Amino acid sequence: MQRTIQIPRSIMTDEELLQPGMASCQGCGASLAMKLALKGLGKRTVVVFPACCWAVFVGSYPYSSLQVPVIHCPFETAAVVASGVYAGLECRGEKDVVVMAWAGDGGTFDIGIQSLSGVAERNENIVFVCYDNEAYMNTGIQRSSATPVGAWTTTTPAGSIKKEPKKDIEKIMLGHHIPYMATASIAYPDDMYGKFKKVRNIVGTKFIHVLSPCPPGWRIDPAKTVQIARKATQCKVFPIYEVENGKHQINIHPESDIGVKEYVQTQGRFRHMSEEMVSALQESVDRKWEDLLKKGNET
Amino acid sequence: MKQVIKGNHAVSQAVKLSRVEVISAFPITPQTSIVEELSEMCANGDLDAKFIKVESEHSAMAALVGASTAGVRTFTATSGNGLLLMHEVLHWAAGARLPIVLANVNRAVSGVWNIWADQTDSLSQRDTGWIQIYCESNQEVLDSVIVAFKLAEKVSLPVMISYDAFFLSHTSEIVDVPDIERVDKFLPHYTPEVKPDFSDPRMFGGFVDTDYFYEHRYAMHKASLDALEYYPEVCKEFKHMFGRDYDIVEEYRTEDAEVIVVAAGTITSLARIAIDGMREQGKKIGLMKLRMLRPVPVQRWQKVLDKARKVIVIDRNISAGSGGVFSSEIQAALYSLEHRPVVYPVIAGIGGRDITAADVEGIVSYALSNDKRTYLPLCWGLKQ
Amino acid sequence: MPVKKRSELAKEYDFKAWRDLTPMNVSVGTMLHNMTGSWRFIKPIYEDKVPACQNACPAGNDIEGWIKLVRRGEYERAYWHLKREQPFPTILGRVCFKFCEDACNRVFLDDSVGIKQLECFVGDQVSPSTPHPDLPEDNGKSLAVVGSGPAGMSAAYYGKLLGFRVTIFEGLSEMGGILRMGIPNYRLPRDVVAAEFQGLKNMGIELQANTAVGKDISLNELCKDYDYIFLATGAHASSKLKLEGEDESHRIMSGLALLNRVALGGEVDLGNKVLVIGGGNTAIDASRTAIRLGCHVTVIYRRSESEMLAHPEEVQEARKEGVQFRFLASPEGIELNDDGTISKLVCCEMKLGPADESGRRRPVKKHGTLFDVGADSILTAIGEVPTLDYLNSLVRTEKGIITVNEGLKVDVDNDGKAGIVAGGDIIGIPHTVIHAVASGKKAAIAMDCARKGVDFAQVLEEIAIGDGPAISFSKYMGWEPVNPVRQNNRVVVDSEKIVYDYFKKVRQVEHKMQAADLRKSSFEAYSSSFSEDEAQHEAARCMQCGRCTECDNCLIFCPDISVLVKGNGHFGYSIDYDYCKGCGICFTECPRHAMTMIDEELAIGEEG
Repeated sequence: MQRTIQIPRSIMTDEELLQPGMASCQGCGASLAMKLALKGLGKRTVVVFPACCWAVFVGSYPYSSLQVPVIHCPFETAAVVASGVYAGLECRGEKDVVVMAWAGDGGTFDIGIQSLSGVAERNENIVFVCYDNEAYMNTGIQRSSATPVGAWTTTTPAGSIKKEPKKDIEKIMLGHHIPYMATASIAYPDDMYGKFKKVRNIVGTKFIHVLSPCPPGWRIDPAKTVQIARKATQCKVFPIYEVENGKHQINIHPESDIGVKEYVQTQGRFRHMSEEMVSALQESVDRKWEDLLKKGNET
Repeated sequence: MKQVIKGNHAVSQAVKLSRVEVISAFPITPQTSIVEELSEMCANGDLDAKFIKVESEHSAMAALVGASTAGVRTFTATSGNGLLLMHEVLHWAAGARLPIVLANVNRAVSGVWNIWADQTDSLSQRDTGWIQIYCESNQEVLDSVIVAFKLAEKVSLPVMISYDAFFLSHTSEIVDVPDIERVDKFLPHYTPEVKPDFSDPRMFGGFVDTDYFYEHRYAMHKASLDALEYYPEVCKEFKHMFGRDYDIVEEYRTEDAEVIVVAAGTITSLARIAIDGMREQGKKIGLMKLRMLRPVPVQRWQKVLDKARKVIVIDRNISAGSGGVFSSEIQAALYSLEHRPVVYPVIAGIGGRDITAADVEGIVSYALSNDKRTYLPLCWGLKQ
Repeated sequence: MPVKKRSELAKEYDFKAWRDLTPMNVSVGTMLHNMTGSWRFIKPIYEDKVPACQNACPAGNDIEGWIKLVRRGEYERAYWHLKREQPFPTILGRVCFKFCEDACNRVFLDDSVGIKQLECFVGDQVSPSTPHPDLPEDNGKSLAVVGSGPAGMSAAYYGKLLGFRVTIFEGLSEMGGILRMGIPNYRLPRDVVAAEFQGLKNMGIELQANTAVGKDISLNELCKDYDYIFLATGAHASSKLKLEGEDESHRIMSGLALLNRVALGGEVDLGNKVLVIGGGNTAIDASRTAIRLGCHVTVIYRRSESEMLAHPEEVQEARKEGVQFRFLASPEGIELNDDGTISKLVCCEMKLGPADESGRRRPVKKHGTLFDVGADSILTAIGEVPTLDYLNSLVRTEKGIITVNEGLKVDVDNDGKAGIVAGGDIIGIPHTVIHAVASGKKAAIAMDCARKGVDFAQVLEEIAIGDGPAISFSKYMGWEPVNPVRQNNRVVVDSEKIVYDYFKKVRQVEHKMQAADLRKSSFEAYSSSFSEDEAQHEAARCMQCGRCTECDNCLIFCPDISVLVKGNGHFGYSIDYDYCKGCGICFTECPRHAMTMIDEELAIGEEG
């Protein structure tokens, strides 16, 4: 039996909230991520963009490629501006509305982490999505705390490849006791669609971490964007799971045991990665997976 | 109803009367009691507002950018370093043409800490595009906040109301607190021209390239200049309803003055006392109370100050390497006059150091004793 | 289909003065004016290709096409679609070597798709007597088919579809050639064969049994009476062991002779212990027939099991039924008793040397390893060759088979008008039913090209499937494929091109057959065909390699919303080339390689 992706065709062909003409790169993982997210969220969504790739390619004045209200905000303030928008809409009596902050890894892990932490601790009723392309891509591929160990960026060039491991934003967000934290990937669109649909009905801060491969930044063929995202999950480098009110559940169980080496060799940015770094990555991936399995069983 | 209240309390009363819908603030001395009072009002239902208790001032202003764009009336209060932390977002709020009102308690800025009265904080933000008003008394503070909403919503620019730390924030004065029904008549519900609408979705604040950014900025500049017209109109309306008269500037005994003292904030109260004293001595001294700094009321200033031969500007602030900000603004504004008075820039009261009426008298005497035109200020009261 | 192009909705704005700017700097338009399609240097198109199974089938059976129709529940349409490339599903669905299943891409996931079983199911859905929907007008030419085996049947069938007036001449009393006389009833019931001939008759094909060409009627006569002749007399003469005594015992016969006798209902007494010499299908058929006659059977084969030409499944079934195997042994001499019964067979042990021209390792005698085997009967099944004496001088042969050119045309000196074509086991093609059927199809097209004066070699190029040598009758006739999508009949989708991540493991529906101990005493068919449920389940396993199934992957994964559903009852998708950036994600994520990336400069017609 074929596993076709379980998103009803009517959802894909109904009113399109994202129009083409965006200035995104060929094969951009982030534009695909937004397309899928909006399918789940629906029309009554306000999107808040800090500085990031999306803020630029969505369109310049007076054009917008989105068919939902969009509010731009300063780089580090995506979460709190979104919470302000929600507060305002609530005062206006608007019901059944989702305000979504859509930030890159810079606007989530680094410069944006303070306002994100504040919003999460206050459990403000917004969805915060980090579309993670693992570097400051908009400004030309500089390292962020989301850049994985072994990756080349312009600020971790050959000879000075990033040796620090990727910051665990998922654990950080869970430390805020928010009602919903999940990872999602463009390679698993039905899972992603389901999650975005789900968060419409959860009150409180929802955090979704989406893996969003970037062809120029990861040094990959644009045609392979989805394939590599899938590989990340198959190699357990990016596990797909969700935590609802503290209960962990792994959503995608990779069907076979593939080492991280199979993942890193698909991308030019890992070309300078040493054996030790690969082992370190494998170890941290294994540890995280064991931890998830354990937590998943506890529920 | 007349009450004896502190300056901070006047602010919170004004916020309640203005039926603000979303508040976002972070405590900083000496603004904290505003935050506390507003918290209580929201908690006990006196004020039907959402109060986002953010984790920094930067987030406070950002939250209001979001809420104001969503189309509701918004407010925050801060002071000193808190205002500085908001800096990027202050620019953003004005560029986004959001009618946010901010009450700023004028407090010294750090490196090295000082929590007392100093105007450097708000003045360092004068290029952000915010309209700026300076207050002398708690009554003025209360009234100015209410008027600020009306003005902001009229010209679509944010407004900052500043007043001295401790001298007003923590000092009780008699304040006539108006009835909310009357305020409702003066200040109706905020109905923005554009707001997020799912049936007509738009993008707010997107990328503007070289084709249109200049015009965008010009529109802001024009809107600010328009405030010079609207503000007196709004104040007239306020006077009609509440009996209190406000304007871009306030003149005191300037009709025949040969020397005019220019000051903003509580210094003006002391100046009045000093001037009365000097008038009794036969000296022709007057006072121009500087209320509006942005937009720069060039015509109004010129009109008042043209009468005098000497203009003394007392700055409770210092821009290192330059001098007082008010004096540089005044000097620039007077430059196009054919017969420019001599301007005496004076710095006093930095970091909350007390200024007395005697100080003002001394400053005036200093000005009377020489005719030297200078840019760099006299630092009155400096330990040297 | 009148859909407003999105680029037509694009509007550009040009604000002349600062006061024209919108309040709060809000947007007024979409980005549709930014036609990102101009960035491309390659572009995607929808293009169906040849699945590995169809490529492996000698007849180019459009397996995916009819399986797709089975899935839709359109059994009758599936039946007629199948018959376009392979006319006898009831037969091949029972006896085919299933090259398709060996090549099936699903093998790398779990099991192959049970294509043969499904074909049997489809074949059984429609009676062969049902009027054929594709019968054309008479083309005014006649075709004589000599031999009623699978090659002849196929040439007759396709000849009829091309408008020829067709007569099949069969020397024996029963029609079917090897199907009736060689393959045992338990593998291919005779009523199934008979039903297919009824079908051919219903198409208007004349059947003349008991008419041996070269005996009852001469080839010369046929050449005068017919415009075209297809020679398909098969290979029914068993090769000799070339051992002394081989022809001197009534207990030594060819395996084929045994099968013939049983096929005609004759009595046979093989005694108790039977030796079968050989490793091909005839050897296995003979052994399993002998088992059913109550004998103990041992197959003696000079190579090892993996080199046997018989289908491994046949060998397994034989084994289960009790057939013994002695590998790496070859007969050296026969010792007979005075009364003609067999005393013993002397064999020599063999070992495998280097490969011969067939690619298999040549067996070499191991010196001094002779051994005796007792037997009541010996059946020889070491290969069959054609009998061509009916041809006389008319037709040239070489090494026992007819030489034909690429167009299967036979070089003839004949004073008749006929063009002679040959196919099946009498030309140098593998001796399987499906190869015979394929050659009959090819011959029919060759004759039609000759009739039309069209260059057959050129046509072969145009209708070739995959790597060849299979050809598409549908393409020759201009019949539409199941998918109304651009077709590329030369590119084969092998396992490397399938994205296995999109398929879940599901084992093949079990082939139900009677237990060996029960079936070995009967000549009745012992395996049951699929039920409709099973057929649906198995058909659903087909990954539909190279053929669009509207799975929506491309629609879902396009980052630029440039894949659109055609809608309005139309099949498939269109690419909005105004915006498509040519990233290739749709192409990569198509589970079955039904898209192609082509150079941007290539014009492809109205749309992808």
